[in-house]
Amino acid sequence: MAIRQSIHRSIYNLGSKAIGAVTVVRDLWLLFIGAIAGVLRTMRRNDPSRRPGEIWRQMHSMGNRSLVFLIVTLGFIGMVMVYQSCLQLARVTGDYSQVGPQFIRLAVSDFAPTLTSLMLATRVGAGIAAEVGSMKVTEQVDALRMCGVAPIDFLISPRLVASFVVTIVLSILACGIMYGAGGLTAHYSFGVNLNIFFDPSNVRNSHVILGLIKAASFGIAIPIVSGYCGLAAHGSSEGVGRATTAAVIGSSFAVIALDFVISTLALLVMPGGV
Amino acid sequence: MSEVAGTELRNVDKRFGGRQVLRNVSLKALPGRRLGIIGPAASGKSVIAKLWCGLERPTSGDVFTLGHRLSTLPELAASQQRARIGMLFQNYALFDFLSVLDNVTFALQRRGDIPADEIQDRAAARLRAVGLAGSEHKFPSQLSGGMKKRVGIARATVAKPELVIYDEPTAGLDPVTTQKVYDLLASDHAQTGGTVIAISSDVLALARFVDDIAFLHDGKIRYLGPAADIENVPDLAVRQFVRGEQHGPLSQHVPTPAEDA
Repeated sequence: MAIRQSIHRSIYNLGSKAIGAVTVVRDLWLLFIGAIAGVLRTMRRNDPSRRPGEIWRQMHSMGNRSLVFLIVTLGFIGMVMVYQSCLQLARVTGDYSQVGPQFIRLAVSDFAPTLTSLMLATRVGAGIAAEVGSMKVTEQVDALRMCGVAPIDFLISPRLVASFVVTIVLSILACGIMYGAGGLTAHYSFGVNLNIFFDPSNVRNSHVILGLIKAASFGIAIPIVSGYCGLAAHGSSEGVGRATTAAVIGSSFAVIALDFVISTLALLVMPGGV
Repeated sequence: MSEVAGTELRNVDKRFGGRQVLRNVSLKALPGRRLGIIGPAASGKSVIAKLWCGLERPTSGDVFTLGHRLSTLPELAASQQRARIGMLFQNYALFDFLSVLDNVTFALQRRGDIPADEIQDRAAARLRAVGLAGSEHKFPSQLSGGMKKRVGIARATVAKPELVIYDEPTAGLDPVTTQKVYDLLASDHAQTGGTVIAISSDVLALARFVDDIAFLHDGKIRYLGPAADIENVPDLAVRQFVRGEQHGPLSQHVPTPAEDA
């Protein structure tokens, strides 16, 4: 009897969690559609939710203020990746000729957008959730609604556009930083010829397109997940803290999950191209 | 669409998750009159305010605001109705990214049908009326609690709404400032003649301001009648609350910090 009850309880708990997960995905999708509609609505000059200059402000906040953090972090990651690759090759074949061409191929199609977005998920995602969450718990979101302003249009849509642009731009920049830092590491630590390392002939258009698609998708996912966590905040500062933590975890998870989905789709669509 | 003349809750239940906040509440604010709502912490007073603004939806029952069934209106239509309502939030809810002047003009600018000069004039007049002339360019973080409250009042009333809801308009203020605030609200009401709903825990000061008063406890209306009679109501819970007595029916339910929030 006790075993049967335990099984029932386990099934019930599992079902509740599954329904909860489906609900979250549905709400994220609705928020995404709402935010896209908000972008279109706020293009009208007389829209009440339009806030002139907000997209630029957000781009500055997300992009410029993340620049040093990203350059340093991704520079080091590029150095470590190339160093480790050369170290392993030194033990096996000692031929470093393919390190640079393979590294840039992977950086363009995967490492640069994914690692950049993981960095942005921590910094930008936490920032969005904290800002929106503190507005939610101090009733500023309700006050916006009282003023005839749609909170999603006012708070999420500009951040969506800014994050979309900034993530693509920073991913391109990050690719260059990783490649440069990796090349210098290979040259000074293992004596790899810079002309051999900096050979981008392995990079095809499909790699560039795949990298840009990933960067764009991650750039959309981060503000949607973080904004959702912020809008779901309740209580007081403790609620904002919980929302911020959930935003960082959720955004990072979204980046990794999307990376897997997009990479898999790319393999199915263009098996020889990736 | 005009189904009732005023602002009314009809058999409203409201639940948040497993917690029932309002139980079959029916309450009416008559046009042009001032209704006060009192009750212990976490009794559902602010929830009633948000229901009347369409910021929350009832679990069951009907919410009418200024003659419109707000509980069934889609968000866009509800948003248009909110332009006729002014709301002072319990915790001010001032936009911390805007100056005092911009906070007060924010809603008017969004309407798009009022010339910029008129918006500035109306906001300046409102800020003078609440005693904040000269603070136009300060930000909320630079203001005291009382000043924030007055900015909130200016923001709630600048559009001359037909219905104004004040959620704890004098919480945290000293008695002299409290009376000044109520004098200001009374003067505004005399000019506009709209419907006023005021929520407060300061019973005696509120009773001097409003015409009718409702006592809310445990999600139910325990008293609704003339404010002048509130001190002589036979209900023990009302009597305990009004007189601030230590022992009585209210002492049996002490809200937890989570409920209080």
